[in-house]
Amino acid sequence: MRLLIVEDDAPLASGLRRILEAEGHAVDVTSRGEQAVLAAAQERFDLVILDIGLPQMDGFEVLRRLRTASPEKNGPMPVLVLTARDAVDDRVRGLDLGADDYMVKPFAMPELTARVRALLRRSQAHGGPRIVHGPLALDTVARRAFLKNEPLELAAREWAVLEVLLGKVEKIVSKEAIIQAVAGWGDDLSPNAIEVYVSRLRSKLEPAGIKIRTVRGFGYMLEEFKGN
Amino acid sequence: MLLPPIAALLVLGALVAYYPSIEPATAAYDQSLIDVGISLGSYLRAAGQGYRLELPAAVDQVLRRDSFDTVYYRVLGPNGEGIAGDDGLPEPLNGAGDAVLAYDTSYKGQNVRAVAVPAQCGLDSCRVLVAETLVKRKRMARDILFSTLLPEMLIAFATILIVWFGVKRGLGPLARLSEEIKARSPGDLRPIDAAGTPEEARPLVSALNELLQEVSQASRNQQRFLANAAHQLRTPLAGLQAHTELTLAKALPSEVRAELEQVHQATIRTARLANQLLALARAEPGARGNAAELNLKSLAEAEADAWVHQALAQDVDLGFELEWAPVHGDAFLLREALANLVHNSIEYSPRGGHVTVRTGRRDGGSFLEVDDDGPGIPLAERERVLERFYRVPGTSGTGSGLGLAIVREIAAGHGARISITDAGAKGCRVAITFPHG
Repeated sequence: MRLLIVEDDAPLASGLRRILEAEGHAVDVTSRGEQAVLAAAQERFDLVILDIGLPQMDGFEVLRRLRTASPEKNGPMPVLVLTARDAVDDRVRGLDLGADDYMVKPFAMPELTARVRALLRRSQAHGGPRIVHGPLALDTVARRAFLKNEPLELAAREWAVLEVLLGKVEKIVSKEAIIQAVAGWGDDLSPNAIEVYVSRLRSKLEPAGIKIRTVRGFGYMLEEFKGN
Repeated sequence: MLLPPIAALLVLGALVAYYPSIEPATAAYDQSLIDVGISLGSYLRAAGQGYRLELPAAVDQVLRRDSFDTVYYRVLGPNGEGIAGDDGLPEPLNGAGDAVLAYDTSYKGQNVRAVAVPAQCGLDSCRVLVAETLVKRKRMARDILFSTLLPEMLIAFATILIVWFGVKRGLGPLARLSEEIKARSPGDLRPIDAAGTPEEARPLVSALNELLQEVSQASRNQQRFLANAAHQLRTPLAGLQAHTELTLAKALPSEVRAELEQVHQATIRTARLANQLLALARAEPGARGNAAELNLKSLAEAEADAWVHQALAQDVDLGFELEWAPVHGDAFLLREALANLVHNSIEYSPRGGHVTVRTGRRDGGSFLEVDDDGPGIPLAERERVLERFYRVPGTSGTGSGLGLAIVREIAAGHGARISITDAGAKGCRVAITFPHG
């Protein structure tokens, strides 16, 4: 994947570049908002990591121009905003201007890479019907699942629950949210039923190293796949 | 305070009214004595070498009759010898014998008012003295005094009332002003509304408002500085953290790894400290202004992701019991308070421990609380852990000692109460209870 980092703090920019290159991405770095706007107009990036606190043209302005200048001509270009400020207004403003995610400095690298992966996956999912999570692959068109390239039997409800969790890796999904996403019209799904589906998913996925955490009193979280 | 000058004015007013009115009255009484003297003079007759007074007894009685006073008279011959009347009635001390004189003297041990009237006796000049006691004069003086004093006193009383009401009414707005200032919280630096204050107090109010404005400007500057400083720290810290984590991801000699782990921990702590300083700056009185209607349940739900990752890293089971809990407050600050409580609980929980975040309503107010099954806080330390930079002696965690102090300030800023109690057999429960509403 091709990534653009717009960050004027050189040590942070170089750190980000090395981490994301280690993830297998091609990374360009610029410290200037104006250059970022130019670069994005000429080339296609799969993801932009944008610092808000830039000299001269600030991140909000860059974001605004990115969103108005190139209306998704080459497919979606997700933007992950980085900021040293955490005022709620900034967050809302960034998201209003079309940021796809938002991280407050400083942050742990695993969290950044997880967010980057999630954003890339989401943007790929627009076109591709395949969801991949470690050894797990879901073909959403054929509705077939594979684990370590072997076909995996999933009941319809199990599939639905797994799809919700895959959409929010490393984030807690509340039981209510799962019920809302899974239950069809007129269905009456109890939180206990969700527990049953999750425990069935666990018994199928955990041997392959895929973990679903229970967050007591709240919901579930599909952990980032870390290998066996 | 106003009484002595008013009393002095009253006395002065009485004197000023009394003397002009007593003088004509005294003159009138003197005149009637003079008239008596003149009529007595007309009874003088020549008798041989001298004169005598041929006064019929009836006339004498009429002259001497008076409803209040005793009347005395004495008739003196041309050489000052007594001819008739009451011997010993003193003559005036000065003045010519042929002048009509009125004077005060005493007779038979009594103060009397007397007149001396010249009388024609042949070719010579005789003198008639008439005197009377002072009963009716005193009565008259008393009447005059009373009749002038009474209205004076009424006026004075009315004046006192008017002044008292006027002052009270005039000072009323000032009293309200001082009540308003007293009722303010220390952080309330809004200008005072000058609309309700009287004209005279306007300069005071505007001077106060200028001062308030300067103080709040200074406080805003300080907060802005602190917030900027904290924000500025975050970018280099992010870089430091990135490189540390990158290096830690590589194969390293074990001592280097151990050292670098220390650097990494210090970086995370510093970042946390920057956040806490920011929260303190925001929690300062006067910094608020982002209050809105919030639900503690949604606030906790939104932050749950971040906490769960920390809990997982420390092998702590983080659970939630979230119920609807509406409050009026600053989202940033309440989030920070909650984050500090959860962070503390996770930090001090043993591996495999349990931390539970709870929100809801009890006794008519919303609450949020965090339970852990860590070592707990000894009873004697519970007050002190709320102080800035205080840490329970012998604790191992990496805290700055700011967390609970921040929670306390944020709670206080929202009119909420913070309490530290036991949570079950061991561990502790920190609860923030918001006022009814």
